[in-house]
Amino acid sequence: MALEAASSAASEYVIRQPLITPRVRRWIVSALLAAVCCIWIYPLVWMVSASFKTNAAIFASEGLIPSQPVFDNYLRAWNEANIGAYFFNTLFVTVGSVLLVTIATAMMGYVLGRRKFLGRGFIFGLLVFTMFVPQGYTIIPVFELLSMLGLGQSLWGVMLATTGGSFVIFVLLFAGYFSQMPDELEEAAKMDGVGFVRTFWYVMLPLSKPIIVTVIVMQTLYAWNDFLLPLVVTLANPAIRTLSVGVYAFKGENFVDWGGMTAASTITIVPVVVLFLFLQRYFIDGLAGAVKG
Amino acid sequence: MPGLSLKGVTKAYGATKVIHGVDIEIDKGEFCVFVGPSGCGKSTLLRMIAGLEEISGGDVFINDHRVNEVDPSHRGVAMVFQTYALYPHMSVEQNMGFGLRMNGRPKAEVAKRVEDAAKILQIEELLDRKPRQLSGGQRQRVAIGRAIVRDPQVFLFDEPLSNLDAELRVATRLEIAKLHRQLGGATMIYVTHDQVEAMTLATKIVVLRKGIVEQVGAPMEPYSNPANLFVAGFIGSPKMNLIDVTPGAGGALQFKDGRSLTTSGDAHNVATVGVRADQLRSAPVESAALTGEVSVVERLGDAEFVYVRTGWGQEIVVRFEGGTDTPVGSTVGFDLSGRTHFFDAGGVAIKGLAVASS
Ligand SMILES: Nc1ncnc2c1ncn2[C@@H]1O[C@H](COP(=O)(O)OP(=O)(O)OP(=O)(O)O)[C@@H](O)[C@H]1O
Ligand SMILES: [Mg+2]
Repeated sequence: MALEAASSAASEYVIRQPLITPRVRRWIVSALLAAVCCIWIYPLVWMVSASFKTNAAIFASEGLIPSQPVFDNYLRAWNEANIGAYFFNTLFVTVGSVLLVTIATAMMGYVLGRRKFLGRGFIFGLLVFTMFVPQGYTIIPVFELLSMLGLGQSLWGVMLATTGGSFVIFVLLFAGYFSQMPDELEEAAKMDGVGFVRTFWYVMLPLSKPIIVTVIVMQTLYAWNDFLLPLVVTLANPAIRTLSVGVYAFKGENFVDWGGMTAASTITIVPVVVLFLFLQRYFIDGLAGAVKG
Repeated sequence: MPGLSLKGVTKAYGATKVIHGVDIEIDKGEFCVFVGPSGCGKSTLLRMIAGLEEISGGDVFINDHRVNEVDPSHRGVAMVFQTYALYPHMSVEQNMGFGLRMNGRPKAEVAKRVEDAAKILQIEELLDRKPRQLSGGQRQRVAIGRAIVRDPQVFLFDEPLSNLDAELRVATRLEIAKLHRQLGGATMIYVTHDQVEAMTLATKIVVLRKGIVEQVGAPMEPYSNPANLFVAGFIGSPKMNLIDVTPGAGGALQFKDGRSLTTSGDAHNVATVGVRADQLRSAPVESAALTGEVSVVERLGDAEFVYVRTGWGQEIVVRFEGGTDTPVGSTVGFDLSGRTHFFDAGGVAIKGLAVASS
């Protein structure tokens, strides 16, 4: 009785049993997430499945598992549609632009983040401004620039143009990161008689690894998947097409080779998926670094 | 022979002057400590010697060479930063040898010098670790090691102990004193705002305030003969009691409560009397020069600091032997015995004056 009185007096503190236990809740959440996940990857799975079907089978809507898997599409894509060559074009563009972008943005970010000089604010403003200009608007002038440099018809031109994608964002990332480094590090290097460039290379750059990883990851994805720019630059020269453009070529005037296209698309995404599987930790760290940096 | 001298050195950040003409001569092999309250310009002065801060006016000489425009790495100085500033991605060994390696010294020489420095500092077993795997005290040693490796003429320390806990600070203080002896001819300049550190380490002490040198002297000099009120109040713990007085006839000095003190000499321009806690002696209240009510007693074991509120509301501190157990609230009286300091209205110390023994 006394106990009851006490509990009613302290009624705010009554322990209420939860309607669902944490275990059940976990199950429900997992099921929901799984459903969302299925919807998310359905197009991808459909694409991979279609790549193993003939054109007729694709339209027969027979379900995701092909009844008679064929590998024709892959052979056709790789050999006839030049996807093999395009693959290496893309590799060249991606690797080249990643190298260029990483080195150039790190150097620019370092100077912008750590040096006080006249016009620094103006340059920052200009950089930020360019982020508001949609890519499509600048493609023609970029193409013209490449032509003037004599790179209008070459893979080098595609590579160079691809470096522009997120250049500004990377510069700002590096600038933000470098500006937070303690001055004493640089001063210690100065006392050690280490010059500006070597301080950057041996002290500052190794310390910016999180940002470097972010930049490599983001630029790789961008360069590998970029479509509009390579489309324009390679318009007159099919030999230097990249994968994303090459895939588009399966769409003819009045016939679309869905099997070939999906096979080519699968070939296109395999390297990225493999890269992701191996470098998963870096991808996630990299993107987290972008948020933190 | 001066190892380092500053002649009329000034520093201004834009329109604000932070160093107002500093002249200091430091002999070779001396351990010179800059001490002063926060913001007085100690670090700025040190960084100007190091070459990290431009010199706005005056000249800095190292070994009789004017170095105002000389690159920091060519001045023959090495600096130990308060935050250590170790390169986080390099091992201890790489940290210490970085400067030498970058300047194209042969590998064998770098290794030898790193090893020697590591031996002096007893960090040989840490050479492969990264800074983050070290304790604060060990990082401190590595930072000092990085300076030793460069074999400089002048070592610059900017509050190197302020990031260590109290116990380690005392231990490292001794280490640094030992290091100074061990490194023979090296001149050391050491910045601190801890005056105990200053007195224990220095062979020469420079007291700074607001970018001005207030006093330069042997380590005990500012303590036993403060040149002015600022030094008197800043050096020594607990602080010196500074009591305003009015000069009367015949060397008499009157306190605000009417009691007085007789001096042997011309005391007509004395405005303040300074006396340290350990130079006050208990005396009968009726005849004592100073009386008051005990407000707080700090027991430190070997000593007891008794805070006494005088008739005019000033708190003065008196040192008693440990275990005296003065009751709080009681009225006590003191006489001035031993060293007493006198200052004029401008705060400058008056020499050749003493309390007349009664
Ligand atoms: N870059 C700067 N721009 C403007 N004023 C500065 C700059 N650096 C320092 N100061 C000013 O110069 C004065 C001296 O600074 P300094 O760092 O030398 O003081 P400090 O004696 O080392 O103090 P602490 O004991 O706190 O380290 C301070 O008043 C500070 O505000
Ligand atoms: Mg300082």
